[in-house]
Amino acid sequence: MKAVKRFSAALLVLCLAACTGDSAGDDGGSAAPPAAQADIDKALQTPTKLVFWTWVPDIQKEVTLFEQKYPAIDVEVVNAGQGEPQYTKLRTALKAGSGAPDVAQIEFQYIPTFSLTKSLVDLRPYGAEALKDTFVDWTWNQVTGANGEIWGYPQDTGPMGMLYRKDIFDKHGIAVPKTWDEFAAAARKLHAADPNVYLTNLASNQNGAWMGLLWQAGAKPFTNTGPESVTVSLNDDVSKKVGSYWGGLIAEGVVSADADFTDAWYQALNRGKYATWLTAAWGPVFLTGSAKSTTGKWRAAPLPQWQSGGQEVSGNWGGSTSAVITGTKNPIAAAKFAEFLNTDPESTKKLALEQFLFPATKAVLADPAFTGQKPEFYGGQAVNQEFARISDTVDKQFQWPPFLDQAVNDWDETVGKSFADKSDTSAALDEWQKRVTDYAKNQGFKVNE
Amino acid sequence: MNTHAKSGYLFVAPFLLVFAAMLVAPLAYAAYLSLFREQLIGGTVFAGFENYTRALQDDRLMDGVLRVARFFVIQVPLMLALSLASALAIDSGLLRFAKVFRLGIFIPYAVPAVVATLMWGYLYGPDFGPFAQLAGKLGLPAPPFLSDDWMLGSMANIVTWEFVGYNMIILYAALRAVPHDLYEAAAVDGAGAWRIAWSIKIPALRPALLLCLIFSVIGSFQLFAEPQLLQRLAPSVIDSGYTPNLYAYTLAFTGQEVNYAAAVSFLLGAVIVVASYTVLFVSGRRSRS
Amino acid sequence: MTGTLERTGTAAPARHRKSLASRRSNVLTLGMLALLVYFLLPLFWLGVASTKSTEDLFSTFGLWFAGDLNLFTNIKETFTYGDGVYLRWMLNTLFYSLVSAGGAAFLAALGGYGFAKYRFRGNNALFGLVLGSIMVPTTALAIPTYLLFSKVGMVNTPLAIILPSLVSPFGLYLMRIYAQDAVPDSLIEAGRIDGAGEMSIFFRLALRSLAPGIITVLLFTLVATWNNYFLPLIMLNDPDLYPITVGLAAWSSQSAGGGSGSTGELLALVVTGSMLSIIPLIAAFLLLQRYWQSGLSAGGVKG
Repeated sequence: MKAVKRFSAALLVLCLAACTGDSAGDDGGSAAPPAAQADIDKALQTPTKLVFWTWVPDIQKEVTLFEQKYPAIDVEVVNAGQGEPQYTKLRTALKAGSGAPDVAQIEFQYIPTFSLTKSLVDLRPYGAEALKDTFVDWTWNQVTGANGEIWGYPQDTGPMGMLYRKDIFDKHGIAVPKTWDEFAAAARKLHAADPNVYLTNLASNQNGAWMGLLWQAGAKPFTNTGPESVTVSLNDDVSKKVGSYWGGLIAEGVVSADADFTDAWYQALNRGKYATWLTAAWGPVFLTGSAKSTTGKWRAAPLPQWQSGGQEVSGNWGGSTSAVITGTKNPIAAAKFAEFLNTDPESTKKLALEQFLFPATKAVLADPAFTGQKPEFYGGQAVNQEFARISDTVDKQFQWPPFLDQAVNDWDETVGKSFADKSDTSAALDEWQKRVTDYAKNQGFKVNE
Repeated sequence: MNTHAKSGYLFVAPFLLVFAAMLVAPLAYAAYLSLFREQLIGGTVFAGFENYTRALQDDRLMDGVLRVARFFVIQVPLMLALSLASALAIDSGLLRFAKVFRLGIFIPYAVPAVVATLMWGYLYGPDFGPFAQLAGKLGLPAPPFLSDDWMLGSMANIVTWEFVGYNMIILYAALRAVPHDLYEAAAVDGAGAWRIAWSIKIPALRPALLLCLIFSVIGSFQLFAEPQLLQRLAPSVIDSGYTPNLYAYTLAFTGQEVNYAAAVSFLLGAVIVVASYTVLFVSGRRSRS
Repeated sequence: MTGTLERTGTAAPARHRKSLASRRSNVLTLGMLALLVYFLLPLFWLGVASTKSTEDLFSTFGLWFAGDLNLFTNIKETFTYGDGVYLRWMLNTLFYSLVSAGGAAFLAALGGYGFAKYRFRGNNALFGLVLGSIMVPTTALAIPTYLLFSKVGMVNTPLAIILPSLVSPFGLYLMRIYAQDAVPDSLIEAGRIDGAGEMSIFFRLALRSLAPGIITVLLFTLVATWNNYFLPLIMLNDPDLYPITVGLAAWSSQSAGGGSGSTGELLALVVTGSMLSIIPLIAAFLLLQRYWQSGLSAGGVKG
């Protein structure tokens, strides 16, 4: 009995020790002095083991290129889950102070979230600033912090376009809509002609697509005005315009709001329930694998525009970066690995052609081997070329909040829910604004509305 | 006995050691955590019972607790009735192929909740799920399994599917423990199978039923995997506060409010203890009356 | 089946008990048959779905087979995808659940016997404490356990899964009840008179009587660990260590995540993988039937 008591007492002490330890953070904000070339050379020749978390299938091919060039460095590729599951693991590992990788795949929208918690290493000391022109401009803004920090190297992107069923459009005499007004008219016409078909499905669980559409409309939902303050503007005029547009079409019943990437959604795509998919540049390859029965029927076009005749604009949905994680024992090797993976000509080309990642570098986006592809699934249309063009039209200023998970979760339960319930989207936007600002204040942010 | 008492400790020590390390210690740690408040900006500060007072005023938590209470009231009687009926039927000797039934009903227990929810989620599909397809052929509207009104029932169905077999086996085992001469004596007295079941078997099952009931209280209030996995199919119906456990999970992993999540978990534990004792108390009183 | 139904249906209303019982057995059998269909239907779906290609999965009637049989292609794909990681997950699950269940059953047997057969100070209080812990929500424990484990470097190791699974308060409860009846005090006394130590009485005399109870606890903890999802999800980062549940969920989220590098093609593998993953446990229950059912009934006889 005494032994039991002593044992549990010891454990308690252990717990207490554990929780005092996790507040210590490494420096993240101030720029460290640049690493000397000699140090870099030395680091790349010292036998080192790096752990790389990513969910890109078969990325080992590109990792091997790096290992061949720098035989001293051994990179272990770990698939710790796609998106949120990986971030959850990363967070717990960072909190626990062990088990975190050296390099991790981080999506653009999560960079402020992880840089706020000082989980990412600023890459400027390792020569990141010189690589600015390698990447598409808007992607570079996405990885740049408030004080000029570079938090990761862009790996792939998701500029948004519209994939549409040419056969359905032809059957009902619908022209490819150029503006959102035309799109709304087409939605009504199509659904009236065939009640089983919707012009599109705006998934009520897909904050990513929604943010992409906001992005296209020029909304500025979040502005990070400093490390401890944030501007939240989720129910301003632009957001309300986009919100009432989609909320209206959904309430009218001419656009569906089914959850996406579910069995039912896959079936719906295969069976032609949706005549378009407003998706990102990774969508074409994804669809090819998921809706085989519709081969040859799809085409790609840019998103409809809010203004006719103006300059074409688009938003982005998805895409990620390779970031170096705080606590790595080999920051130089890790940074150089992330750099190689996403800038080496052979590696980036392979990523695009074999892993089907939509390129973030200007060079690959201009490479005929990539843009010249004419997949049969799209009736021989050069879809990559279309999306490469769209990539240039993505607005450069869009920003993400430093607490993305919470913002997305609250969106699901307000705006997304209003789509599913066909209820007032405008009120839902107000509620979203309220929830997010409450949360931010609770977390100690200075919030500007 | 007293001289052997020391050996008693020896027997229970291994279990208690692991118990202390794997249950008591983390629990103590969680209790400790629940007294603090950590902000993304500003770090960790001691907060006393602030997390608890916040939880008691948290509407979403209360909604979740009431929802699982409703779930408990709908699902558990149904599940236990099915388990009891199956156990009695299989034990009655009146059933053909009793062995097949016993195994068939028990098999879902061997299916992980992850797989069970995946399967039912597909069957529930509102557009192309088999039930929707059948309804379509009959010219009926598809049953809205994943709608706001039906969701709790649909979830109850999954949990019932998973656990009838488990409870049945517990009850069946208890039935086998009833001395058979009791039945024989009753049969000699002219009692039929139904009568024997009603007046001998069911009373004998009372302790086992109570056990199943307590487990069901705990299971209902801790409902997690099913809502979490169904959330993907019906995101607008199942929000992050749908069940208290899901809420605690979301708080900890999405909102990064580990401290508040710990307090919520503690309160949830308290609710479960109270509910369990209420069940014990009510059924205890009824058995005496 | 219809034949028997008609026969009993047309039979004159019999008054004496024997035919009454046999008529009821048919009604009962039919009722139970309906129940059985309910329990097996989703599994039937799973079986059917695993014979379909991803494409057919989305375009054919769910409860019947598609034109072409894709089962073997699916199985082959399942076992070869990602360098055969699926087999690795199956072996992990097997390893975790066997070790956990064995350990938990042994600890529960030892402890249950101790609580049942020895009257020491704090016996009831300690037992009550253990029993009360059943009510602790698992999610409340998972995060602090993770933090504690990480301090001693046990995160992302098999131990992180096995150690927490060794505690089975319900197992202890069962074994205590079981030991009370199954091991007569006279047996222990006889052992003592023969001069045997307490431990050797347990291992040489009591254990045999406890065996059916132990097997029952073993199987129930085996299922619990086999089906465990939350704990390994949090504890493990390395896919080579995943049990099958987490692995399948990872594939499923890979197929459902959208965004870069995801593909809907994995969905057929998720379905086939799910189907294959439940076979071992069902087979174990079928094969060990005689064992665990005799265990349960033997418990009954003793009771």
